[in-house]
Amino acid sequence: MLARRAGQAVGVALLVSVLCFLVVLRLPGDAAYRIAAGRYGYDLVDQEAADAVRAELGLDRPAWQQLGGWLLDLVQLDFGRSLVTSHPVLEEVGYYLVGTLQLAGAALVLAIVLGGTAGTLAARRPGGLVDRLTTIGVAGVRAVPPFLLGLLLVLLLSAELGLLPAVGHGNAASIVLPALTLGTGLSGLIAQVMRDAVLEVRQSDYVLFAHTKGLAERWVVLRHVVRNAAVVLVPYLGVQAVVLVEGVVVVESLFSWQGLGHALVHAVFWRDVPVLQATALVLALLIVSINTVVDLAVLWLDPRPRRLEAAA
Amino acid sequence: MSRHLAAAHDLVVPRAVVRHGTTTLVDVADLRIDAGHALTIVGESGSGKSVLAHALMGTLPPELVAEGTLEVGSLRFDLADRGGRRHLWGRRMALLPQEPALALDPTMRVRHQVAEGAAVWKPRAASALRLADERLDHLGLAGARSAYPHTLSGGMAQRVAYAAATIGGAQLLIVDEPSKGLDGDAVDRLAGLLAAHVEAGGLLLTITHDLRLARRLGGQVLVMRDAVVLERGPADQVLSTPVHPYTARLLAAEPSRWRFPWMTTPEPSGEEAPLVAAHSISKAYGDAPLFDDLSMEIRAGERWAITGPSGAGKTTLGNALLRLTSVDRGTVAHGPTAHGGRLQKLYQDPALSFPARVPLGVGLRDVMRRHDVDEARLGSLLATVGLPRDVLRRRPDQVSGGELQRIAIVRAMLPRPALVFADEATSRLDLVTQQMTVDTLMSEVVASGCALLLVTHDRGLAASLTSRAVSLNGGGEAEIVTTAAQPAMPGSSR
Amino acid sequence: MSTSLVQTEALAPVATTRKPLVRIAAAMGLLTLAIFAITGPLLLPDPAAQDLSRYLEPPTLAEPLGRDDYGRSVLSRLAHATRLSLLLAAACVATALVLGTAAGIAAAWAGGWVDAVLRAISEAFVAVPALLVVLLVSALASGGLWALYLGLALAQWVEYFRVVRARSALVLGSPAVEAAGLLRLGGAHVVRRHLWPDLRPLLTTLASLGMVTSILAMSTLGFVKVGLQPPRAELGLMITESFPYYDVAPWMSLAPVGVLFLLTVCFLGLRSTKETR
Repeated sequence: MLARRAGQAVGVALLVSVLCFLVVLRLPGDAAYRIAAGRYGYDLVDQEAADAVRAELGLDRPAWQQLGGWLLDLVQLDFGRSLVTSHPVLEEVGYYLVGTLQLAGAALVLAIVLGGTAGTLAARRPGGLVDRLTTIGVAGVRAVPPFLLGLLLVLLLSAELGLLPAVGHGNAASIVLPALTLGTGLSGLIAQVMRDAVLEVRQSDYVLFAHTKGLAERWVVLRHVVRNAAVVLVPYLGVQAVVLVEGVVVVESLFSWQGLGHALVHAVFWRDVPVLQATALVLALLIVSINTVVDLAVLWLDPRPRRLEAAA
Repeated sequence: MSRHLAAAHDLVVPRAVVRHGTTTLVDVADLRIDAGHALTIVGESGSGKSVLAHALMGTLPPELVAEGTLEVGSLRFDLADRGGRRHLWGRRMALLPQEPALALDPTMRVRHQVAEGAAVWKPRAASALRLADERLDHLGLAGARSAYPHTLSGGMAQRVAYAAATIGGAQLLIVDEPSKGLDGDAVDRLAGLLAAHVEAGGLLLTITHDLRLARRLGGQVLVMRDAVVLERGPADQVLSTPVHPYTARLLAAEPSRWRFPWMTTPEPSGEEAPLVAAHSISKAYGDAPLFDDLSMEIRAGERWAITGPSGAGKTTLGNALLRLTSVDRGTVAHGPTAHGGRLQKLYQDPALSFPARVPLGVGLRDVMRRHDVDEARLGSLLATVGLPRDVLRRRPDQVSGGELQRIAIVRAMLPRPALVFADEATSRLDLVTQQMTVDTLMSEVVASGCALLLVTHDRGLAASLTSRAVSLNGGGEAEIVTTAAQPAMPGSSR
Repeated sequence: MSTSLVQTEALAPVATTRKPLVRIAAAMGLLTLAIFAITGPLLLPDPAAQDLSRYLEPPTLAEPLGRDDYGRSVLSRLAHATRLSLLLAAACVATALVLGTAAGIAAAWAGGWVDAVLRAISEAFVAVPALLVVLLVSALASGGLWALYLGLALAQWVEYFRVVRARSALVLGSPAVEAAGLLRLGGAHVVRRHLWPDLRPLLTTLASLGMVTSILAMSTLGFVKVGLQPPRAELGLMITESFPYYDVAPWMSLAPVGVLFLLTVCFLGLRSTKETR
């Protein structure tokens, strides 16, 4: 299983590298010119500066040489320097990764608490008021893209009520809005899965048997319902890793949160290819890592032979 | 076995009614279980017997409404009040559920699940676990203490569930369809445990369609059909000299009592080339051998059975003979008359053997077009199995299991097969339905002169239908038994 | 347990009677939006025609959604944006569906190395978020429609592949297909009677969700300024551009947000079965 994940990681690295490479190959206009502009400003750039950049970066070599060189650097974990800031990419990516992990972690915890609670409460009385409200909430959250949700939250909490800072990175309050945006989006899906899982487990033969054995309600919930519902929910979190990372990209851009997604969008905009490649790669590998953790968690939770199809 | 059952009280139910909407599912009166006696309710699926058991226990699904009272000694309980009996669960009354494999939590080791039922259970306390280990050892499950449920066989899971249900010392034990999916040996073993519960002064209510089990448990028997009790009395009397015609029909449907014309039709004894010839085939499942170095030949018109306990590889052998499964070693050859769709199979669950979202008739037309069968033959086959033509307009999920299996027989017979492989084809059907379905199948088999390969765990069924058998012992050994030229005659196998 | 206790059709879930109503409403809503998207661009004035003297003009009878910061007709821009979203999303979904379904059936049917190769490719794609693929591909040609189309289709085929492959493997391994093999009914029968009827509802659901994903991804890219470029009328761009004026000209923001919300809700309502994720 771990070998499979490792294979997946290699596949992902290749895919992202090739895609990034194609990007450079097909860059519209003169990439060097634009990079030079990014470095010195549009007013100061001229053809000479662009040529200097071109030679410096090896953009005048044939395409296959550039790809080969790239993959070679990748193996050596040498991502080069940012074309815009000239800092080593590895350092920059490390800095952004911390920001992304903070945001993703906070959002995930928020989503599990919000979604898990709503789903469990909804499953207590299927068709009841809480259940209906949860269903509507899930559909609502699903239909609103993260950026729109973020805008609404900014309007409400920041612009109208003035409770929280809208943009920025640094103080503790600035993480609230982005985490709330990302967490709310994820919580809808988690609530749905949690509701169905808890409902199914509560109606299962083994929960009924646990009751007729004479076990008290709270022990039935703690010993049987929670664990078996988690067996359903945890692999689902692995599937959601993709959604989480997508959300990270959008939400970070929206709130100017110093993370990988923000860096990625900037890199695309400024054609900063080394940063583009590194951030895309780290984001994709983040998904593989989350899935590896999920695999291990499921293995620990559920002793049954693993169904391969459930893997993400 | 030292048992501390609560002081023996008889259980009396003056009246019990269960409704679902406007349909009455159960309406019985004067139910009585005496301490130290067994009460067994027999009947076919849909008769309401399981609903009655759950109404007494207080575990009906919320959409079903119960009325009536239950009296234990001086205590009276209202059947409509679901929560009222919860404090009795595990201590005074216990339920041994259907499908024990599903009644055990897949994520928890069995000793913890058994210990939960003990009266002394507390989280992280050792005393309940010690008691659980004692009970498991006593049931011959010492090696399975720390096993997870998915590693247990059906019989072992049943005994674990029994330990968990009875560890709390409940006097009343309600057992719901315990023989479902178990082979003969496992049912015998369970019957012994249930009898011991009764001997220790317990009250036992068993719900079953298995008449053999009902005979073994003795005591009183109720026969239920369509929500009401048709006949009641001592087991040996009701199950041998029934008064009600339905009970008589039920008893006559046991394979050992069958009398059909095809049972006496001799098999053709042509010395033609074999239809299927297996030459020293072997197959293992993981490390466990299913069969090893087995050779056999099936010729036109012969009737074969493959028997053995569950998990012995009966279906795998049948599939290997039809070349649906590969073998590890050896060869399976098919004779010239077996080519072009002339080997057919009937499945345990007929619903899975038809495309789920297509009307039955559409699938049959594809078969008729492929094998150039005319409309008249379809009509006559449908008439033989006793189904109206309209049924073909429905989808598989819109007809009953018995009807669907008869349509499967029609489908298998359309290409005029040389061999039909019936894989536990009637094991999910009620006795009466099974009798009717087998009669249909065998009439067709005998009339068309095709060979039969029967996989079953029911030795009585095998003896009534076939004269040759491959018996698998579950340990990789196979024995080929050929009885007289004819199948065993009724009466001899009782 | 309840299923074995009472084997009657009467126990069918209550929700089934309400579901078709939701689907009909969703279909009607989509039809209305589609008509708006088709006829709007034909009947309404040029969406790019600027008239700075009519800067942020509030809604009137002649101009029901008012004018934007360049004095352009919001209604006309909205019609163009809706048409763009629907057409591009449909093209992406159709491409991904055909590609993914074909590959999924091929993998399940052939097994062996075909399955191994296709699965290895899909494993790599599955870990790369759709948005990332689109982002990278649209960086090839910023603002280009074809890059957006290629990126979205490339990002989505894997979902169809995985679902179709898993489902087909299940169907092809079922007793029903084994029986069809024994009856020598051939591959065409298996596809027509077994695979297609089973896959169709799944594909309907996936396609509806795919439309939502595509439309949202497009507007999200427009929003983070790496998708389609101004002055093109696109829902995400319209939302971004209108954001600074949300308190002086709320009609400018509400119109694209409303259409976006309506589109996604209708497609979500169109799903035939429950969530497949």
